[in-house]
Amino acid sequence: MPNITLSAVSKSYGGGDHAVKNLDLVVPDGAFMCLLGPSGCGKTTTLRMIAGLEQPTGGTIAVGDRVLDCVERGLYVPPEKRGMGLVFQNYALWPHLSVRENVEFGLRMRKVPAPERRARAEAALKMVHVDAAMDRYPSQLSGGQQQRVALARMLAVNPSVLLLDEPLSNLDARLRLEMRAELKRIHEESGATIVFVTHDQLEALTMATDVAVMSDGELQQLAAPMDMYARPANRFVAEFVGSPPMAIVDVGPSPAGLAGSLLRHVESRGAPERPGGVGIRPEALRFGAPPASAWREEALVEAVLPAGSSWTVRLRILDAELYALSYTPVEAAPGDVLTCWTDQLHLFGADGARMSSWDAAEVRA
Amino acid sequence: MAVLTKTEPPPPPPKRRRMVYRLRVLRHDPTAALGLILVVVLAYLVVAPLVAVLSDAFRLQFGDEVHAGQQPGEWTGYYLWRVFRSQISGLLFWEPLLNTVVVAVGTTLFALLLGGGMAWLVTRTNVPGRKWMAGALVIPYMLPSWTFSLAWLTLFKNERSGGQVGFLQAQGVRTPDWLAYGALPIIVTLGLHYYPFVLLLVGNALRRIDAQLEDSARILGAPRRTVIRRIVVPLMLPALSSAVLLVVGRVLGTFGTPYVLGLPADYRVLSTGLYQSIRDRSTGVASVIATVIVIIGVLIVFTDMRLMREHRRFVTVGGKGAMDRLGDLRRWRWPAFALGMVVFAVSVLVPVLTLLLSTLTRTPLDLSTLTLDYWFAERLPGAVGFPHGVLRGSEVWEAAWNSVRIVGLASIICAVAGLLVGYVVVRGTAPRIAAFLRQVSFLPYLIPGIAFAAASLSLFAVARGPVPALYGTTFLLILVMAVTHLPYSSRSGIAAMMQLGREPEEAAQIAGASWWQRMRRIIFPIQRGALVTGVVLPFISGLKELSIVVMLTTTGTELLTTLSIGLVDYGYTQLANAVVLIIALLSFTMTSLTQRLTKSSLASGLGG
Repeated sequence: MPNITLSAVSKSYGGGDHAVKNLDLVVPDGAFMCLLGPSGCGKTTTLRMIAGLEQPTGGTIAVGDRVLDCVERGLYVPPEKRGMGLVFQNYALWPHLSVRENVEFGLRMRKVPAPERRARAEAALKMVHVDAAMDRYPSQLSGGQQQRVALARMLAVNPSVLLLDEPLSNLDARLRLEMRAELKRIHEESGATIVFVTHDQLEALTMATDVAVMSDGELQQLAAPMDMYARPANRFVAEFVGSPPMAIVDVGPSPAGLAGSLLRHVESRGAPERPGGVGIRPEALRFGAPPASAWREEALVEAVLPAGSSWTVRLRILDAELYALSYTPVEAAPGDVLTCWTDQLHLFGADGARMSSWDAAEVRA
Repeated sequence: MAVLTKTEPPPPPPKRRRMVYRLRVLRHDPTAALGLILVVVLAYLVVAPLVAVLSDAFRLQFGDEVHAGQQPGEWTGYYLWRVFRSQISGLLFWEPLLNTVVVAVGTTLFALLLGGGMAWLVTRTNVPGRKWMAGALVIPYMLPSWTFSLAWLTLFKNERSGGQVGFLQAQGVRTPDWLAYGALPIIVTLGLHYYPFVLLLVGNALRRIDAQLEDSARILGAPRRTVIRRIVVPLMLPALSSAVLLVVGRVLGTFGTPYVLGLPADYRVLSTGLYQSIRDRSTGVASVIATVIVIIGVLIVFTDMRLMREHRRFVTVGGKGAMDRLGDLRRWRWPAFALGMVVFAVSVLVPVLTLLLSTLTRTPLDLSTLTLDYWFAERLPGAVGFPHGVLRGSEVWEAAWNSVRIVGLASIICAVAGLLVGYVVVRGTAPRIAAFLRQVSFLPYLIPGIAFAAASLSLFAVARGPVPALYGTTFLLILVMAVTHLPYSSRSGIAAMMQLGREPEEAAQIAGASWWQRMRRIIFPIQRGALVTGVVLPFISGLKELSIVVMLTTTGTELLTTLSIGLVDYGYTQLANAVVLIIALLSFTMTSLTQRLTKSSLASGLGG
C-alpha cells in the first residue's frame, strides 16, 4: 500500500485568509499519523482535503501514483471514488438506518453480494464489539457505541486509508482511554494507513507512530512522538506538546535574574551561539544533589499541589515563577528554600527555531 | 519514517488551470448546478412578476391611447396620475386606502384585545379548563377567513344586495346598512379570524418569560401591578409588535371578507379595489394599486424585522425558569371561564352552527322550513345557476378535485423546492447562490397574496418569449400557489437541513455513494418527516386560500373557495354556506390530524 503525499497544498477561503499554507506532508504506508494542533490550525481542513470533501486552491494530493487532486493539472477525484474511510467527530450515523444497514451501506455501494455483505458487516461490528446491537437504530445507542459503529462502518469496506476527525473528543474520559487502546489495536490488525486529527496532545503521543504539529495552516514539525517531545522543532511545538507546558525563559540583550543564570550556564557549557530563549520542562526540574554538569539555582517553594501519583510544585527562582513536576513525593512546605537543578535545557534561536547545534554540543560535553 | 520537505512557496497556479480544476470539481458535485437552476427558476417566478407589474404600471396599455394621448407601450405617468391625482382617484385609491387603514386598525385592536386577553387567561391564570380552552380558541384560525362573513350575512343581511335576506330581517328586525355591511362587520369578522394569531404569539411569549425575572422584581419590593407594567409588558413588546404587524399585513392582503361584506355597500378596500380594476381590465390602474400594496407589505415586514432586531438586545425570554405558576383568579375564576366560553361561542359555535342551520332551512334559520334539499336535492327551484343540492351534480366534486389536485401539487412542489433550497444553503459549496436563494425564496413573504397574484397575471396573461399565455391554466394556479407558500417551506427546509448538517451526506459520499444515491438513500429518507409536514401545511392553508386564486381561476379551473364566492355572487346563500362548510371541515380535520400525528403546534405552521 502506498504513501499519501501532499505537496505544496494550499487552501484559502474567498479572500486572502489561508486555512492551509503550502503544506508538504508524506504519510508513510501503514503509519498512524496524527495531525495535532490548536483549533483553527488547518488540521481538519487538511483531513477533509485528503478525503476530497474540500478542494485545495493549490497543490497536489496523491496516494501512491494515483493523483487525487492536482489544481495545476486540473485533476480531481471525487470523495466517493477515493475509496477511503472517514470517521466524523459527531459520528454522522444515518438515523433512518439500523446499525447493520449503516455498516452495510458502503459495501452496498461497492455492489458486494448480500451474503458477503452480511458477513463483512458482522465481522466489522465484532471487531469493535458492538455486534450485539446490530439491529438497533443509532438513536438507541450510547455515545461510545455510536462511535464504534461509525468506526465499523468504515472498517467494513476495508479501506487502505482511514481518516479520523477528532473521533474521541465527544466521549467521556474513561471511554476515551479505552478507545485509544482499541484504535491502536485496530491499526495493527487492519494494517490501514490512519490519519488522525486531534487537538489533544496526549492522544497524539499515546497512539501515533508519526505526529505532525500544525499551527496557522503551517506544518511546524513532523516526527515520531517521543522525538518530538524530546526535541521540539520550535517554541510553538515546545509549548504545545507537554503538560504542564515547557517554560521558556526569554533571553534579552542584557539578561538578568533567571535568564542571566541560564545564559551563563549554557555559555559555560559551550553553546555555539547565544540563544533567544531557554526552555525547561517541568519534569526536568529536580531537587537534591545535582550532578556537576547541571544548571542549579536556589528555589523558594510557593505551593505544593499533590495529585496522587505526581506532585506539582510552584517555585520562585530568582525573578521568575516555574513549575516543577515530580513523580516522587516532595517533602516541602511553602516558604522552604530548595536547591533545584536540571541537565536538560532546550535552546531556541532568536527566530524561535530549535538550536540543533546545541543538541550536538550538549552530547559532546 | 515520515519525511518532511521544506520548499519555497510556488507561485499560485494560473487562473485558467484553476478554472479547469474548479469545473472538474463542479462536474462531480451537482449542488452548484442545482442551486443555479433554482436561482433561475425562482428569479423567474418571484422576481419577474414584480418587474412585470411595475412595468405595466408605467407603460401605456392597449385601449388607453385616447385618454392618455400616447401610443401603447410607451412609458407613461398616466396611471399614476389616474390613481393618485385624477377626479376618480378618490374612488380608485384614496377611499379604499382610508378604508383599508380603518379596517386594519380596527381588526388589529379587536384581535389584540381578544387574543391578548385570552392568551393571558390560558397561560397565566387558573381559569377552569384552560388546556381545553387553549386548543379550542385556535379553531377560528383553521377556518377560511370569510367563513365568518358568510355567517354574518346569514344573520344580518338586509334587502339591499338582493337574494334572500338574513335571519334578523326575516324575523322582522330591520338591520341597518352599517350593521349589515361595511367597516363594522368586516372588522368584527376579521378580528374573530385573526385573534387566535395574537393568542398564539403572545401566549408563547408569556409562557416563555423567565419567572425569575418577575421574582427578582417582587423581591426588590415591586408590587404586582408594577411588575406587570415594568417587567412583563416590556418583555412582551416584541411578540405584541410582531402580532400587530402580521395581522395588519394579512388584513392588507385579505380579499374574501371585504368582498362579501364590503362590496354590496360599495365599501372598497385596496384588495377588492385591485380585484375590480382587474375585472374591469384596467391593467395599468391595477398595476399601480398592486405596486402600492406590495410596497406597504414590504414596509410592514421590514418594520417587523427591524423591531425584532432591536428587541433582541434585551429580550431574555426562554431558559429554565420558565413560568409555570399561575395567578389565582379566586372568585373571578368562573366568570373568566364564562368569558372564555363566550369568546369560543362567538368565534366558533355561532358562525359554524349558523352556517350549518342555514343550509338546512329554506328561510335562513327558520326551523319550520327544515330541508335537506340544499345538500341532496336533484332539482332546486329558483337557483338557475346551480339548480341542485351541492352534493349533486358535478360542480362541487370537480371543484373539490381541482382543489386537491392543484393545491396538492403546489404543496408537493413547494416542499421539495424548500428542501432543495435548504440543501443548497447547507452544503455551502456555492455561498453566493445560497445567499441569493435564501433571500429570493423569502421574498413572497413580503408581498400580500392578492398583489402577487396580480403581478403573476401581469407576467403570464400574455405570451412572453417562449412562454405561452398561462392565464386560465391549472399550471399557473399551481405555480403561483407554490411560490406564495415557498417562504414557509424554504424556511423549514433550511431549518431541517441545518439540523441534519452536511455530515450524514459526506459520510455516504466517503462510503462511495453517488449524488443520486445520496439523495435517494440518505437525504430524502432522513427528511421524510420534514417533507410530509412541508407538504401538509401548505396544503391546509392552500385549501382555504382565496385572495391568491380569485383572480386566476376561470370556469375550467374552479376551486372550492372560488366556487363558494361565485355562489355568493349569485346570492345563493345556502349553497355558498354549504361549500364553505365543506372547506372548513376539510381544513379543520386535516389540521387537527396533522397536529396529532406530528405533535407539531399550529404556531409553527403560521409562519409568525
